[in-house]
Amino acid sequence: MSMTRKTKTVLGLTLANILLIVLCFITLVPILYALSVSFNADNSLLSADFSFIPKHFTFRNYRAVFVDEPIMLWFKNSIILAVVTLVISLGTGIPAAYVFSRKKFPGRKPILRMLILLYAFPSLLSMTALYKLMRPMGLINTKPGLIIVYTGTEAVFALWNMKGYFDTIPYEIEEAAMIDGASPIQIVWRIVMPLAKPTIAVTAMMVLIYVWNEYIFAVNFMTGSDTYTLAAGLYSLQANEMQGNWPIFAAASIVISIPILIVFFALQKNMTTGLTSGGVKG
Amino acid sequence: MNSKNRKQTLQCYAWAAPSLILIAVIVIFPILYTGYISFTNMNVYHWNNYSFIGLKNYKDALFVFDSGFLKSLFWTIAWTVVSMALQLVIAFLLASLLNMKGLKLKNVYKTLLIFPWAMPGYVSILLWKTGMFNSQFGLLNQWIGKLGFAPIRWLNTDTGAFWWCTIVNLWLALPFMITIIDGALQSVEKSFYESALLDGANWFERTFYITIPMIKPIIGPSVVITVFTTFKQFDVVYLLTRQVGAKTGADFSTIMTYAYENAFITNNYGYSSAVSIIIFVLLLIFSLVINRNTSRAGK
Amino acid sequence: MTKKIISLILSATVAVSTILTGCSGASGGPSSKASDPNTIVIWHDKEDAVADVLKKQLDTLSPDINIKLEKKTDLTESLKMVGDDPKSAPDMYIFAHDKIGVYAEMGILAPITDIIPKKDLTAYMDKTIEAATYKGEIYQLPIYYETLLFMYNRLYMKDEDVPKTTEELYKYMQSHTSGGHYGFVEQHSTPYYAAGWINGFGGQILDDNGKPHLNSEQVENALSYHKKFVKMMPGETEYSTVNTLFSEGMAHSTIAGPWMVPTVKEKGMDVGVAAMPTINETGTPIAPYMGVQGVQVLKNAAKNKTKAVKKVLEVLMKPEVEVELANASGCAPANESCYDLDDIKNDEVVMMMKQTADNAVPMPNLPEMDVMWTVLGDLLTDVNMSGEDIKTSADKAQQKAESLIKSMQ
Repeated sequence: MSMTRKTKTVLGLTLANILLIVLCFITLVPILYALSVSFNADNSLLSADFSFIPKHFTFRNYRAVFVDEPIMLWFKNSIILAVVTLVISLGTGIPAAYVFSRKKFPGRKPILRMLILLYAFPSLLSMTALYKLMRPMGLINTKPGLIIVYTGTEAVFALWNMKGYFDTIPYEIEEAAMIDGASPIQIVWRIVMPLAKPTIAVTAMMVLIYVWNEYIFAVNFMTGSDTYTLAAGLYSLQANEMQGNWPIFAAASIVISIPILIVFFALQKNMTTGLTSGGVKG
Repeated sequence: MNSKNRKQTLQCYAWAAPSLILIAVIVIFPILYTGYISFTNMNVYHWNNYSFIGLKNYKDALFVFDSGFLKSLFWTIAWTVVSMALQLVIAFLLASLLNMKGLKLKNVYKTLLIFPWAMPGYVSILLWKTGMFNSQFGLLNQWIGKLGFAPIRWLNTDTGAFWWCTIVNLWLALPFMITIIDGALQSVEKSFYESALLDGANWFERTFYITIPMIKPIIGPSVVITVFTTFKQFDVVYLLTRQVGAKTGADFSTIMTYAYENAFITNNYGYSSAVSIIIFVLLLIFSLVINRNTSRAGK
Repeated sequence: MTKKIISLILSATVAVSTILTGCSGASGGPSSKASDPNTIVIWHDKEDAVADVLKKQLDTLSPDINIKLEKKTDLTESLKMVGDDPKSAPDMYIFAHDKIGVYAEMGILAPITDIIPKKDLTAYMDKTIEAATYKGEIYQLPIYYETLLFMYNRLYMKDEDVPKTTEELYKYMQSHTSGGHYGFVEQHSTPYYAAGWINGFGGQILDDNGKPHLNSEQVENALSYHKKFVKMMPGETEYSTVNTLFSEGMAHSTIAGPWMVPTVKEKGMDVGVAAMPTINETGTPIAPYMGVQGVQVLKNAAKNKTKAVKKVLEVLMKPEVEVELANASGCAPANESCYDLDDIKNDEVVMMMKQTADNAVPMPNLPEMDVMWTVLGDLLTDVNMSGEDIKTSADKAQQKAESLIKSMQ
């Protein structure tokens, strides 16, 4: 009995692994394509006889990315924007999500409903309006300006997403802490935050990816290539198709996605330790 | 209202204030500003010396809402429904697969699966367009060529464009959905399953009676937000099939691409603002309908 | 309690901004440099070879005048947004002439004759000055111009086989298009490329008064004649496909921009350029659009930095600059006198552009043209790719163009 069950599990896992490998491959086809182009010494994105393993292998395109383009500068700009935006997003989002989840106060429901509806506004027009707002404040061409735009854009998502998760954390634990005389800040910091790790990790990831990949504001609100972020720099690489250098572009696309993947891999631990562990059960 | 209540309300608003102020500045202000501009004649000929012209833009804008607009509205709704349905089902299945007990490489698979998320959208769309779909050099045609079939123009029929755009959109959006559902699955009490297993419930029963009800409130907000993102989606459809100089011949447009081609390109900011406000109102109606259906589930 | 939280938030903001100011120092210059009357910021969207020449020439003005040449992505959109804001806008920009109407109407451009005397412009080819003129004012100082060129791969097409007329081209296509090879390819449904055929039939996409003429007899004839060529070309019409077909040696000939030449030469291709084939029906050659690249001056700069702007323009008016650009990147000089120099005379590509320019039509520079690209693109797609009736499609496009132009007001 136990033997057959074990065989069944092993069989199931093998099947699952095969399926996942196939799915990963399918997902990665366009990216493997870019990877192959970036390593290919024959200079073309399009070619009549493509193979995933380049016939003439070269690092030239990667070297070009690091040598010819100010990519380290763009990288630095992206990191600064991403980190600061992340800190402000979570710093403003967590307290807001907490009160909207936990407290009953006048205006709570209408505000929540309104926020999600506002999300429906076509973003194509926001840019000019924001420009008109930020220009008198001297925020154009500055990192703080871009950070405000980014945090504001992600604020609705952060609030809603974390509020939804907070709702599922049982209130009783907090009540117990409150009786013990803990202040609201202590409760959020010591009790809610550890329990809400998965949603905080997901929200952080979302904000990070948004800032990392955003280019429209970055191109239009900043002048000069020394203020570009990675995404904006990459956009400018391909924008002028008359000289668009596809292999370098492909190499650069791979290079800029690597940091995101590393962060995601590292954050995964936090996305998986959820409510089921620890205090909730008791 | 007594003073204790008032104090508590103030306290709540103080906690929420930084976030709400940011939202007011970045999300609400552009809407109000667009509303204001929609009553003016701000266009190329009156860029800085614009004046109020009442409802003229709205009167003009109504001409945009012709049969072409209705058609794209229909396409947009179909697009949103199909994309969301596929996204939820596939993400749920994949997340369940990833959560199988004993799966050692889970984190590696997940990291690989989110790869599409790690690239700026225009990069991946470009990769799909030139790398996959191109009828002369695209991988798809190279593969079917090896199987002995004639090359296909993937994006030049209405339904072809619709489905391939849906697939690319799915490819772009799945990583987020998988992450959200995967996180939600983690939070489901394992003991529920144990008792269900004892009762002899099969996978479908467990899924429908335990998993889905348990994760619904957690993923609800993200799903609602994704619905809007899908509805507003512009890049996928525009860059794949409608870019000037690279049109494919398919007549598939969403209300956003339609508004772009019929209003935004005129450089008449007052006029396109009026179109935006009307679309916004349509979206509000649309979301109220959704809200009614999801409010029970999402609370 | 409330106070405590607010002070917490405030201190966090202060901490964050301290980090920020520490880091943004490197990039925080623009507002200070904008007010300096001897610093000139020039936006452009040109390839490195062109930018390097311009930079080298403009740097001769230093240390009196400090030039910042900035390559700007989405230059035209950015200008709409920042054009009237001296803090973020450039002082000048280098771009094709076709946007001057939009910016002139928006009131952000100054006529260059405000700064340099009109008589100094007589050295330029008439067509380039015509291109630079909007409503009677000259808004651009031309530097070089571009037209499409007929190019062929000598490996397949011998010099004596180069078609003189479109019917010869058609015959060549018939006998050489098979098995993944094409006798001739072009971006057939892209407005900028198809315009050459329409102009060659005497059609006019947009007239000088901003009226579209998409359902005129000439345009319809051009579309129906062009269609038989389209049938023998691949279905894709975008840039990368068409150019890859040619540069990978799968297409024998093409009509493409001069910027193609360095790419294919680098690959070792023996590429020839020839005059545009004459259209048998009309007796005129295919007449592509001409784009004049030059420098425009923003109003704020013209007013506040007149002296510096003038010096920059004077440098850019020197024929040497144009010759050097021609050598560096095959740019055809806008200054007529350059064509007497051996350097230019020996440049096959530049001389062919000059010849093509005789028939070429300067791109309309009216604001109305902005919507025409989209409408004409739709019309070409309907006719060439969806196989719709030419007359019906043209009428539909004409109506659409009229209504879009009406909504610009």
